[in-house]
Amino acid sequence: MTVTFPHKTLPWLLIAPQLLVTLIFFLWPAGQAVEQAFYQEDPFGLSREYVGLENFIELLQDPSYYNSIAVTFIFSFSVAVSGLVIALILATMADRILRGQMVYQTLLIWPYAVAPALAGVLWWILFDPAQGPIALWLEYIGVDWNHYVNGSDAMILVVIAATWKQISYNFLFFLAGLQAIPRSLIEAAAIDGAGPLRRFWDIVFPLLSPTAFFLLVINIVYAFFETFGVIDATTSGGPGQSTKILVYKVYEDGFVGLDLGGSAAQSVILMMIVGVMTVIQFRFIERKVQY
Amino acid sequence: MAAVVLNKVGKKYPNGFHAIPAVDLEIKDGEFIVLVGPSGCGKSTLLRMVAGLESITDGELTINGTRMNDKEPADRDIAMVFQSYALYPHMTVFGNMAYGLKNRGVDKETIEQKVADVASMLDLSALLERKPRQLSGGQRQRVAMGRAMVRDPQVFLFDEPLSNLDAKLRVQMRVEIRQLQRRLGTTTLYVTHDQVEAMTLADRLVVLNKGNAEQIGSPLELYDRPATPFVAAFIGSPSMNLFAAQLNKKTLTVGNSVEISLNSEHAFNGSVVWGIRPEHLTVCETDADFKIRVKAVESLGAETLIYGEIDGVSEELVLRLSGPHQPEINSYISLQAPQDKWHLFDAETKQRL
Repeated sequence: MTVTFPHKTLPWLLIAPQLLVTLIFFLWPAGQAVEQAFYQEDPFGLSREYVGLENFIELLQDPSYYNSIAVTFIFSFSVAVSGLVIALILATMADRILRGQMVYQTLLIWPYAVAPALAGVLWWILFDPAQGPIALWLEYIGVDWNHYVNGSDAMILVVIAATWKQISYNFLFFLAGLQAIPRSLIEAAAIDGAGPLRRFWDIVFPLLSPTAFFLLVINIVYAFFETFGVIDATTSGGPGQSTKILVYKVYEDGFVGLDLGGSAAQSVILMMIVGVMTVIQFRFIERKVQY
Repeated sequence: MAAVVLNKVGKKYPNGFHAIPAVDLEIKDGEFIVLVGPSGCGKSTLLRMVAGLESITDGELTINGTRMNDKEPADRDIAMVFQSYALYPHMTVFGNMAYGLKNRGVDKETIEQKVADVASMLDLSALLERKPRQLSGGQRQRVAMGRAMVRDPQVFLFDEPLSNLDAKLRVQMRVEIRQLQRRLGTTTLYVTHDQVEAMTLADRLVVLNKGNAEQIGSPLELYDRPATPFVAAFIGSPSMNLFAAQLNKKTLTVGNSVEISLNSEHAFNGSVVWGIRPEHLTVCETDADFKIRVKAVESLGAETLIYGEIDGVSEELVLRLSGPHQPEINSYISLQAPQDKWHLFDAETKQRL
């Protein structure tokens, strides 16, 4: 249905608020970042100098940047995969229970409402080597846990904190996907001689694959860009560089290291990554994974 | 091919609801049995109990003499065609038909051979590489049947397989199912709510009402000698006319206007349900048993259905005449009800007299 307006100005007025928000809060800062990426600026913003691609060249020659890329990939991959797998297991179990399903679902959704920084702190305390109950239990069974000094421990911790929050979201989508699969398909497969595991891999999983693919992209985007709070509240990128993901490096180089040009160049590269992911999302998700 | 025996098979849900009290049924090898009844009568539940998709809480089910109560659906050697067809949407037609054989560890060549045989029997050979969504309703139905046939099971179970098809296709598939079953000789249990489907397909019919088997018999037995008013009303279209009446040995009284004297004395004395089929009533000039006032006329060309009322009787009556007729609304028609076509039921026990 198309609505035709008698005036040319009215439609513009109606979309103006949305346009203004987009312009002021998204496009303008993004433009600023792109501009800044080509300048060298002093920490107080008093003077600046055009340096062309120098910020990018310096960045691409910096081993700590490649380290950050590697850290980001390990982090995102771990968060996405463990988030999807755990959520799928939980959803499959929730789909089976008949009584109290609502309670179970509601409880599983709660972590999503917890702010990222709080989720981070929560796990930080649970794993604290001196007093955290989980760390103490780990020590009891002979695992020497210390995320203050051990980079892998720190990585595991932020992955757990970030995944914990995302499981709720994945769970909801998987459960909806599972409930959309007609019972008769499962029954037909049971008559066809497929056991529970076989049924899952041959029937349920292929029918869930559009949901799984959608969630995979969403989870990677989440791990890439929305986990700043988790990192900042817990490891602050440390120890060393071991949990410094790209978004965190942008913040630290810009606002702590006061290298505004270098930070802006990193932002531009991140923007390009977002662009690519958006294209993937539109190309594949809008069209759905066909089966 | 196998005999299926239900011995007092019943289903009670955990909440205490007795969906099926106890059904006794002996299905002979190769027989085509149709379970028929109104929706909610438990016919699908009973079928699913035979399939193993619902647990059996009472009684015993045996297939070929083996007790099946606690066996998994896969171990009962049955195949089921679902109302929704339940084709695996991500597999091709071939994949759908081959899946059951693959799970049973049949080797690849045998699978291909069997699927090809069944596909040619069902006219599906050209469609083997298609996905279910690329097929029409009738083709999907065929694939669902092919998937059942390819495994060569002991028993076929059909759960209202034709109800998603349009009227013309339904008639065509009905004939095909009957022919296939005859050819394969596989014992078949078929659920439907459509009494025409039931009558045309069945060797024997089971009429279910609230989980009870009201009557089991061949289609014509059920038509000629329904055991209860429920069966009488359910089998035949349009339904049998049923009236609350009084019988005292020599006369039958319906309401306050109809009194018919019986040709031969009847032993029963008391309240009855009197039934007469629409096609057994005859129009007459003299010696009428009663008169009806015409309320509506449906002309179907080959036959005419006339709906009317007997003055002073609350139940409506249907009259079926062959050929076209055009009686005036509110005019009266005199009718005879031949006594050898009567159905009398005890009003108390609902049993045939």
